[in-house]
Amino acid sequence: MMYEAGSWPIQLQQIIDEFSEVDDSMERIEMLFEYSQKIDELPMSEWCDDTKVHGCQSEAHVLPMQNDDGTFHLRGASDAKLVQGLIAITAIALEGLAPSEVTIFSSDYASEMGLMNALTPSRANGFRNMFRKVVLAAQEMGG
Amino acid sequence: MTFTPEQARPDIPILNRVLPNGRNLVYLDNAATTQKPQQVINAISNFYETMNSNVHRAVHTLAAEATEAYEGARDKIAEWFGIGDGHLIFTAGTTEAINLAAYAWGRHNLVAGDVVVLTEMEHHSDIVPWQMLAQEREIEIRWVPLQVESSSLDMEVFAASMEGAKLVGCIHTSNVLGVRNPVEEVIRLAHSAGARVILDAAQAAPHDRLNIAELGADMVAVSAHKMCGPTGIGALMVNAETFAEMHPFIGGGDMVLEVFLDHSTYQEGVHRFEAGTPKIAEAIGWGAAIDWLAQWDIAEIHSHALGLARHTAAGLREIKGMRVFGEHGDGDGAVVSFIHDKLHSEDMAHMLDAHGIAVRTGHHCAQPLLRKLGLTSTNRVSFYLYNTMAEADFFLATVRDLVARFT
Repeated sequence: MMYEAGSWPIQLQQIIDEFSEVDDSMERIEMLFEYSQKIDELPMSEWCDDTKVHGCQSEAHVLPMQNDDGTFHLRGASDAKLVQGLIAITAIALEGLAPSEVTIFSSDYASEMGLMNALTPSRANGFRNMFRKVVLAAQEMGG
Repeated sequence: MTFTPEQARPDIPILNRVLPNGRNLVYLDNAATTQKPQQVINAISNFYETMNSNVHRAVHTLAAEATEAYEGARDKIAEWFGIGDGHLIFTAGTTEAINLAAYAWGRHNLVAGDVVVLTEMEHHSDIVPWQMLAQEREIEIRWVPLQVESSSLDMEVFAASMEGAKLVGCIHTSNVLGVRNPVEEVIRLAHSAGARVILDAAQAAPHDRLNIAELGADMVAVSAHKMCGPTGIGALMVNAETFAEMHPFIGGGDMVLEVFLDHSTYQEGVHRFEAGTPKIAEAIGWGAAIDWLAQWDIAEIHSHALGLARHTAAGLREIKGMRVFGEHGDGDGAVVSFIHDKLHSEDMAHMLDAHGIAVRTGHHCAQPLLRKLGLTSTNRVSFYLYNTMAEADFFLATVRDLVARFT
């Protein structure tokens, strides 16, 4: 089964629903700010070329890794809170999946949440680059 | 008539735009591009509706009308900028104008070992073309440093860099700091050393008639869209002496006299640099923008926009954690770059956008300058004739609120 619209993991579906209920752009920004704190934050001291997401105006870094049981876990951070919020939602969406499941995960959730519309083209590119980096890492984990 | 922004606003339809989030547009990104008056939009539509035709070559009525309108626009723009007996070559904008200078003048007048002097304040468009040429020709580029504290160029280093210089490239007014450089002194230093000068006047042209002949610059690059004209057109204005040293760059139709199988001969005058079908509607639109701006005294327009910039800079400086760039002295541009130490510029821009306020974010195509400031990005607001004090105050109140809520 592919993870896509209509078949998202429950924790992601809840976030999508939460964003769908809000029309006000400032309120959505505040929600992203809140999500930016709900992440296994990668401290700046661990930022390096390998973790860097290219194509962002801001500095964004992700470190895909595996939990003890082999499931997927994503650490990340950005100096821009909205970017970190988006990484956090991605981390929540993918948490606990098998790496093989991450490789069949669609990146459409950002558009479904109405976030891609709110992103500048450079940030939308940055999001795609971030997601690609995550999927590649999952493939390398044997997914 | 004495200028007030209320005289200009009714002519600009986009200022009535309500954004998808229900907010009214507050457009403070004028250094990137300005909004267009209905008169400019009409001039472009009118061209396509009534006289669309290619220029110069055909003998039919439409071609004659289009040619007259196109060349008439050139004359009007040239007169506006006071180019005297110089030449105005239409380009796609400032960037293409500087590239034209690098190819049409630089390639024929600079050789290995020659020196080009540039400043750390330059926009990428006045850096990269010369770097490309320098790599090809082994030309030395000397950099005049930016003095961060005073937001000014180090003129002592400027003077000392002149030995052996063949060309000086200088941004007239910084798109990041708003600083108007002492271009008269730059030109004097360059000419004393026997060097040519190219000015990037993209930010100056909307606020200053320039009077290029009086200024004495050899080449000046400008863009129409930063002065209420259309996108896709600008100019390289060149004095007669420098023009004589330029050689055709882009080959093709309209720039030739005769084409043989083994060689071609070229048009005299500016047409030798305008191969192919030119930017006809755009030139006519630019002419209409000049007509529209000419209702007022440009010095009054500039004084108004600079006043908004000063008010905004002062207001931002009162906010804790805010770093504000530029001095906003007389003659400086109406731009205010700023950064808050706890609110990333991208976050700030998104939150301002949620309030309908359009500002610029990023490196503003001036990465060496930003690096000198120790930054990778700033926010920037920039004002023009149709902006109001109420908009500046709304912007300041919004920033104050965002900083209070999110830091």
